[in-house]
Amino acid sequence: MTEAFLLSFKLAALTSLTLLVLGVPLAYALVFKRVPARALVEAVFLMPLTLPPTVLGYYLLILLAPEGFLGRLGLDWAFRFEGIWLASVIFSLPFALTAYREAFQAVEPEVLEVSRTLGLGTFRRWRRVILPWIWPGLLSGTLLAFAHTLGEFGVVLMVGGNLPGETRVASIYIFDLVQALEFQQAARAALVFVALSFVMVLAVRTLEVRWRSITGSSAR
Amino acid sequence: MEIDYRLERPLNLHARLRVEGLTALLGESGSGKTSLLRALAGLIRARGEPFGGLRPEQRRVGYLPQGYALVPHMTALENVALPLRGPEAERVARRWLERVELAHLAGRRPHELSGGERQRVALARALALEPRLLLLDEPTSALDAATRETTIDLIDRIVAEVGLPTLLVTHDRYVAGRSRSLAVLEHGAVRQQGPPDEVFARPATLGIARLVGFANVFAGKVAGSEGDGVWIETRGLRIFAPTEAPPPVGREVHWGIRPEEVMIVRPDRPLSSPLARNRLEVVVRRLVKKGLAYAVRVEGALALEVLLPRHVQDRLRLSEGDRIEVALKPTYVHLFSSEGFSS
Repeated sequence: MTEAFLLSFKLAALTSLTLLVLGVPLAYALVFKRVPARALVEAVFLMPLTLPPTVLGYYLLILLAPEGFLGRLGLDWAFRFEGIWLASVIFSLPFALTAYREAFQAVEPEVLEVSRTLGLGTFRRWRRVILPWIWPGLLSGTLLAFAHTLGEFGVVLMVGGNLPGETRVASIYIFDLVQALEFQQAARAALVFVALSFVMVLAVRTLEVRWRSITGSSAR
Repeated sequence: MEIDYRLERPLNLHARLRVEGLTALLGESGSGKTSLLRALAGLIRARGEPFGGLRPEQRRVGYLPQGYALVPHMTALENVALPLRGPEAERVARRWLERVELAHLAGRRPHELSGGERQRVALARALALEPRLLLLDEPTSALDAATRETTIDLIDRIVAEVGLPTLLVTHDRYVAGRSRSLAVLEHGAVRQQGPPDEVFARPATLGIARLVGFANVFAGKVAGSEGDGVWIETRGLRIFAPTEAPPPVGREVHWGIRPEEVMIVRPDRPLSSPLARNRLEVVVRRLVKKGLAYAVRVEGALALEVLLPRHVQDRLRLSEGDRIEVALKPTYVHLFSSEGFSS
């Protein structure tokens, strides 16, 4: 059980970090820059929300197989940790992106303009105005992506299969236990998940509330 | 400071004006007032002097937009210190907060401040930049009447103390009246600039007249000149209007009088000689309370809006349907210059 949970944590941590690096510039561009065919671009990034995990997993498997398009480019990642990492990044992108975008949308363009007139260059503007304004949103988006990745099942199973230590994450481990009718062990693992989800959702909520009390925006 | 700016977007505008002390820029909504301020701050593209071609960061122009644009996660003090650097920043910021009488609220965040307080924090922040020019966009539009007055008092005082050229955009006649110099933006250009009293009493165009509350404007024909003025014929009525440059007889002209300056002739009091002219009989058609005064519409040969102070109405006790006589004292009759006709 420990091995499966450790693998889940490793996957979730790497995925959410990747999303932080990719998602923040993407969200910034979507909010503040002129993006051609914005609706189309957004639809593509948000599609994993509605796409069945098995469908997304199927395509990734085809692409990442040794003779697949990406596989031939050296990304021969089917049934490997790298494969489920890529799948998780794509699958959790909508969650992170939505949260990051909301964080940027709260930043009033007028305040950024005025800080320019006050002599703040790009670097000082980010450090003193933008980052302190958006970090709770970034953190809660990242936590959401983390939690979402922990619980993934379909995509991971399709792309990674069920290899102990490589691709067998906690959710698949529980599935295995149930298949083997080992209900007691499954119940223990499931309980760990319940506790984890609760703590993370609570953390996200607390962050939001605290932040709203600092900036004075109305609670939702 | 002489300003000469040309904008092409979002609208065509060529503004030439002089900013000395507290200067107000009056104009209808959509006339480009805010765009001009944003161009001066370097936030939209424009050609002209001063600051031509400089980025906003390099201009040292204090800009206060309507929403004040305080940074929500910073305290009042941190906001004021935003343009400052170095070890002295906090001390200097505190001094500016004292200057706007808000030192006691230094630790509050914007959402814990009232509209007027936010406005003053934003003002202190812009002043902390030690700007070469201060731009205020409708600084009183979101404030109640009492706060509006104290805010304008404060701005006026500080700007005078610091000796800072300040351009204040407004559509509020009261605020415009408090400026040292009033410029009016109309049809993409500054059409008139001068002391507010002069602009209010002698608007250059009919459009400006409407903006400054010059409600009674009429067309007429010059019927003859006499001494320091001309006689104008309007709907069978002869009105005497003083002018330094009398237009030729027969010329179509516009003339007008402010509602505050139409006088009601009291039957029990004889009139002094200048008022023997420009009198007409009218009927009171509408009488509405407007603050502490009364807005009265009277109709006779001309239909006039009259603003009656309460003490006058208390004595006259006018009511709708009354027949009265009004006098348009020549001093208050304004003859529009020929450039004013077009609009």
